[in-house]
Amino acid sequence: MTDPEPQVIVFEEGIPGFPDVRRFVLTDIVPDGIFQVLQCLDDPAVSLVVAVPWLFFPDYAPELTELDQAGLELEREEDAVVFCSVTIDPDSHTATMNLLGPFIVNVRTLKGRQVVLTDSDHPLRAPLPLAVI
Amino acid sequence: MLVLTRKAGESIVIGNDVVITVLEVRGGQIRIGIDAPRDIAVHRAEIYRQVMEANQAAVRSERDSPILRTTAESLTRLRSQPDSRRGDPDAS
Repeated sequence: MTDPEPQVIVFEEGIPGFPDVRRFVLTDIVPDGIFQVLQCLDDPAVSLVVAVPWLFFPDYAPELTELDQAGLELEREEDAVVFCSVTIDPDSHTATMNLLGPFIVNVRTLKGRQVVLTDSDHPLRAPLPLAVI
Repeated sequence: MLVLTRKAGESIVIGNDVVITVLEVRGGQIRIGIDAPRDIAVHRAEIYRQVMEANQAAVRSERDSPILRTTAESLTRLRSQPDSRRGDPDAS
């Protein structure tokens, strides 16, 4: 059996900082699939390490605005897949997760959007538990 | 930059479908109402800028860092313990 072609996720508005890129795929970088890379197809230089936030922050509860839900055409909560970017600080050898701007994908339409949880206290750089050497 | 003077209750129309209304002016703060189509995201500028900078840092960040590997290994080990606090029967 061969792996199916990776599904292309379309971020119609780009993402903050990279407004002109649209098409991304998710690929595993470590075998157990905890971390993945969100790789841009329109610009190979744009790729981010991501992970499902609840693996590390079980109580994380991002609230989407009506506008975001409408923009993603999300009708049911279970159609939403959520992942957050992970950044390594090379000086301190620590990893942080961006909980303020999660990526949301509608699995039915494969539309994605990085939402900005403007009215929340979610941190931009939450230290990743277990990420210690 | 185009500069317009508006009073509370007055609006500005941008393009054909974005309307910005000054709702209230009190002290040093102004409440603004925004009517925009669904596909236009509206953000507070300073928070948007932070997320923008975080994305740029994430794109520059290392892909194959040993931290990711050791973290994934620790998490996998934790999840494989039957009595762990995240003891999800579906997690194998």
